[in-house]
Amino acid sequence: MHLPPWFWYAAVVLVAWGVVGLLQKLSTNYISAESSLIWLVVGFLVLQPFLYPGREVFSYSTRSLSWALLSGVFNALGAWALFAAMKSGGKASIVAPLTALYPLVIVLVAPIILHESINLLQGAGVVCALIAVVLLST
Amino acid sequence: MPTLATLKARWFWYSLLCVLSWGAWAMLSKLGSNEIPADTMQFIFTFGTVPVAAALLLARRFKMERSGKGIFYAVSNGVLSGIGGLAFFAAFRAGGNTAVITAASSLYPMITVALAVTILRERLTWLQVVGLGFAAVAIVIFSIST
Repeated sequence: MHLPPWFWYAAVVLVAWGVVGLLQKLSTNYISAESSLIWLVVGFLVLQPFLYPGREVFSYSTRSLSWALLSGVFNALGAWALFAAMKSGGKASIVAPLTALYPLVIVLVAPIILHESINLLQGAGVVCALIAVVLLST
Repeated sequence: MPTLATLKARWFWYSLLCVLSWGAWAMLSKLGSNEIPADTMQFIFTFGTVPVAAALLLARRFKMERSGKGIFYAVSNGVLSGIGGLAFFAAFRAGGNTAVITAASSLYPMITVALAVTILRERLTWLQVVGLGFAAVAIVIFSIST
C-alpha cells in the first residue's frame, strides 16, 4: 500500500506532539514547572534556524508582528500552567486531553471579538468539550 | 460531576489557566495569520516566549535545579514540539487535505494518553475513558470548524 508523503508528515506531527505530553510529565518529575518552561524555550530556540523565513520577516505590519509576539507570550504562559498542573499531581493522561480543548475559548470568544457567529457544528463541539471536561475531572 | 476533591486540586485550576492562555494564543495567532504565513508565525512567536522564560529566570534569581534528566526532558520537549510544527507545515506543502491534516494532528493527546498508560502506568476510570471520547470528538470538530 502506497501512502502519500503528507500522510507521513501528519503521522510525525501526531507522534511528536503525543510524545511531548509524556516528556512534559517526565520533566516535572525532576525539575520545577518554572525550570521546565525555561528549558522548553531553549528547545524552541534550537530550531529557530530551520524556521527562519528570510528577510520578509521585516516586511510585515507592526500590528501583525505584535499579535505574533504576544501569541508567543500566551503560549509560554499556557505551557507554564500545564507544567504546573503536572507538577502538582495532574496525570499526563488527563491534563494533555483537557488542555487540548483550548479551541473552546476561541469558539466562545470569537462572536465577541471577531464578530463571527457560532454554527451548529461548533455548538456541538462546545457541548462535547464541556462533557469531556466534566468526565475527565471525575 | 467533577468531585469536590478535583475542584480543590491545584492541577485542575492550572489546567484551566492553560486552556485560557492557549485560547488567547490561538486567537492572537488567528489575528496575526491574516497577514503572516503560519510557518513565519511560528518563527516570530518563539521570540514571544523568551520574555516569559526570562521573567521566570529572574524570579528564581537564576537558580536552576541541576537535574540532567529534567533538563534533557524539558529541552527535548521544545525541540520535539518544533519538529512537530515543521512536519505540520511540510504536510500542507506536500499537498495534503488541510482539514484532514489539522484534525489528525490535533488528536495528539490520544497518543500521550496511550504512552502515559503504557509507560507511566497511569490508570483511568471508565468515566474518564468516556470523557476522552468526548474530548476527541470536540477536538476534531474544533480543528475543522475554527
